[in-house]
Amino acid sequence: MAAHKNQVLLTIDGLDVVVPAGTTIFDAARMHGIDIPVLCHQQDEVPVGACRMCVVDVKERVYAAACIRKVEPNHRKANAEDPDLVVETKNDGVRAARKTLLELLMADHPAPCIRERRNGDCQLEKLAREYGATQTPYSRRQTGRELDNSSHIILVDHAACILCDRCIRACADLRHNYVIARRGKGYNAEIAFDLGKPMGSSSCVSCGECMFSCPTGALTNRVSLTSAFESGSVCTTDELLAIPIFQHVSSSFLNFNQGSIVKRRVRQGEFFYREGEGSWSAFYILEGQVNVFVSTQPAHVGTEDHTSLFSRSMRSKLVPSAEESQGTRQLGPNTLFGEISCLNSYPHSATAQAATDCVVLEMRHNVLDALRRNKTFREKFDNDYLTRTFESHLRQSPVFSELQPDFIKSLLPKVRLERYAPGEVIFKQGDLADSFYLVRRGFVKVVESHPSGDIVLAYLPMGSHFGVTSLLGEGRRLATCSALDNVDLVRIAEEDFEEMLEVSPEVGRRISEIRDERQRDNQQRFAQAGDAPLNEFLRQGIMEAKSLLVLDLEKCTRCDQCVKACADAHDGVTRLVRDGLRLEHFLVATSCRHCLDPLCMVCPVGAIQRQPSLDILIDNSCIGCGECAKNCPYGNINMHEFEVVYNEGWSTSAMASTHTKKAIVSKATNCNLCAELKEPSCVYACPHDAAHRVSGKEFNAMLVK
Amino acid sequence: MLFATLLSLRKKYTRWRIGRTQTWMRGHIWLGLLSYPLILFHAGMSFGHGLTFALMLIFSLVTLTGIAGTLLQHYLPSLMTERIERETIYYQIDRILGQLVDEADSLLMPFFRKDAEYGVMVPAATRTRTKTTANVLTNENANAGKLLEEAYENNVKPYLKQRGAYRHPLHDANRARTFFTSVRQVTPQAVHPALAALESVCAEKRELDRQSLLHRILYSWLLIHVPLAYGLILLGAIHAVMSLRYA
Repeated sequence: MAAHKNQVLLTIDGLDVVVPAGTTIFDAARMHGIDIPVLCHQQDEVPVGACRMCVVDVKERVYAAACIRKVEPNHRKANAEDPDLVVETKNDGVRAARKTLLELLMADHPAPCIRERRNGDCQLEKLAREYGATQTPYSRRQTGRELDNSSHIILVDHAACILCDRCIRACADLRHNYVIARRGKGYNAEIAFDLGKPMGSSSCVSCGECMFSCPTGALTNRVSLTSAFESGSVCTTDELLAIPIFQHVSSSFLNFNQGSIVKRRVRQGEFFYREGEGSWSAFYILEGQVNVFVSTQPAHVGTEDHTSLFSRSMRSKLVPSAEESQGTRQLGPNTLFGEISCLNSYPHSATAQAATDCVVLEMRHNVLDALRRNKTFREKFDNDYLTRTFESHLRQSPVFSELQPDFIKSLLPKVRLERYAPGEVIFKQGDLADSFYLVRRGFVKVVESHPSGDIVLAYLPMGSHFGVTSLLGEGRRLATCSALDNVDLVRIAEEDFEEMLEVSPEVGRRISEIRDERQRDNQQRFAQAGDAPLNEFLRQGIMEAKSLLVLDLEKCTRCDQCVKACADAHDGVTRLVRDGLRLEHFLVATSCRHCLDPLCMVCPVGAIQRQPSLDILIDNSCIGCGECAKNCPYGNINMHEFEVVYNEGWSTSAMASTHTKKAIVSKATNCNLCAELKEPSCVYACPHDAAHRVSGKEFNAMLVK
Repeated sequence: MLFATLLSLRKKYTRWRIGRTQTWMRGHIWLGLLSYPLILFHAGMSFGHGLTFALMLIFSLVTLTGIAGTLLQHYLPSLMTERIERETIYYQIDRILGQLVDEADSLLMPFFRKDAEYGVMVPAATRTRTKTTANVLTNENANAGKLLEEAYENNVKPYLKQRGAYRHPLHDANRARTFFTSVRQVTPQAVHPALAALESVCAEKRELDRQSLLHRILYSWLLIHVPLAYGLILLGAIHAVMSLRYA
């Protein structure tokens, strides 16, 4: 096997593998199905090489930690065909080193720890059993370490902590909360919250990320969230851990999120979801077969001239494509479906129906997020996307609807799937334009910088594309694009994009039209920069609102009946503030707008959900982490404090303590449009016909009047 | 009349789904207006004597204050929207006044720190071109700092602290402009941006006072209308009992 430029040839346990230079030994082994044990590293975190459990023999003076050792081309090798690096992961020396490390760690570990007693999946104890290191020859720690039960959600057992730092990186790098750090030195080192406070009194928001990252029983859940599904039976953690897809997920996560996964039996012929519906769940087939198909013929929106005696106008109409509807795809056991809509909170693009009697797991997006942290799962997930969804995704855009299926298939191996964290810059204004992007998930913010300040040009949702104007123009990026939330992109290189234009001149024509239209829009936007109301209208995302609370200030007598009615309808806590953006004689009150592109739906436990009516509701499983409130750009989600009673012990009934404790917890609340009533209380209670619930477009019409 | 009185109950119990409050309000206004001629007919176009006179007088006052209230609530919201750009929630005005005082303090505090040896910390002013000794410069600046502090502590701060200081000179936009111009003349250039910000703080305070005043006018008629309406109901009940008993 020969390696190309920028690639490295490795031999791992006798298997020749080629990987890009800079790949870690751990990842190279993982990509080729070779398992290297590790405690301090998980795939979505930056490796630090703290536990040294992943040591491998690289035929050098000392063993190397596979998680941090990157492979580089070996320029001193005698023969070009020779491997750049030879790695042995399981020889006697390596096993002996790991066994010693495990014995040392076990000397400090209260085996069996809480997690081991609950679900038998303490990663340290599991490895110790595998390496025969359960009995340690070293003396055990004499000074006890504390049990911190101050938080009502997470139990902290410092004695079980192995200082792998996974929780610290999860808190800082994944959630950006920066609550956990190390305190003390050497033998006295331990993890600390806000540098030494009990967890319950610290600034911890209880998002649970540290608990899901912990490999032992040092951080475990005290509560399990109740089921958010109307039907289906809740699965036990042991049941879930036995299913291949969940084998890399922390048992604490599964314990904590019990309510987010249910098992359902579906009879032959029943529908899981229909095209255009929003059920916002993903399904995993345990038994049976499921048919997934597109029910409607592909079509795009066209216009027709409508002329009558005295008037002439244009009307929109659907123009069916000459192409036939895509065929039915049958999915079998161990397959995930419905995941794209679940992650994006967009209606389903196909219909799923049970072909036989089925048993499926229905899950929420927070479970999918946890699964996607595993790189192996993510690769499979991305591959499924490319083979199953990419084509229809590309065709959803009227620009690409005419592309030939053969060309799209030839494009598949060339496209790159990229992932960006919230706030991460995709490219900067002035950068060289070398590719074209399709938004697969999330929102992209497009900002143009001017000496007088930055102007937001657009927020691009799923299905949008960007990078065209600069590719066809001067070859430099005209604006800065960054990820607004977790963004997945499909990147098509410049040469493939040019080939696309050659193959399909129609695509080129449409892209040119869009480029011209965007340039016109941008010019118009600059011209409007001085027009404060309209500029505010666009900047405040009012067009994206599904239900704005608008008060006509020429009728409103400021009597606050709307606020009083809202508070009365919600246990005395109002969900609206009669203040906010003023446009002409209207006030857009501070109350949830139920945006069409909700930026708040980043809940780690999936408590914030979109209803089939597209309303956004927060249910009782909210853990009060405040992520949704932080993400709402309009300040329309509030955190309210409630008193709860919880057990001082942990949640497993056999170990449950009889002592209960009261605590104040925060819960996120938003306007639920008084879902249980016919009309929102604020509107119903207004004595002067001043309060109205309208969509962004309706509001625009009101302003134009 | 009873229906009209029930509006207050309807507004108090917002959870009741017994018709939109707007419908009740319309009923309150139109039935209230209609009842006046009906009762006049009932009284034979006469105010009568004793109890009936008191009843008719109160009824007339209730109707008049009601009409005045309706007109006020019809026109004042538009006026308020037009005149007060930085309108806020009425019950938050005191809190915002506190914030304005804090903002004003933070704007000027760097210029009159008690421990500052040199008073206002600015480069040499142009007017000292011919007197270049350090002593003269620092003395002048220290003097400017003192003047600024006096102007702020004696005029601006008391105005910002007092809600509805309608008679204060700074409540009048023209007099406020004159005041700030005179302060600018005795202070160095470096202080002027802070003075401009302070002027804007005073303008916001003026708007809040104006909002406060308009809001009170908007609801002041209720102080007469509501007690009289309850008195009317009470006297009406007595009148009914008396009429039935002694008719």
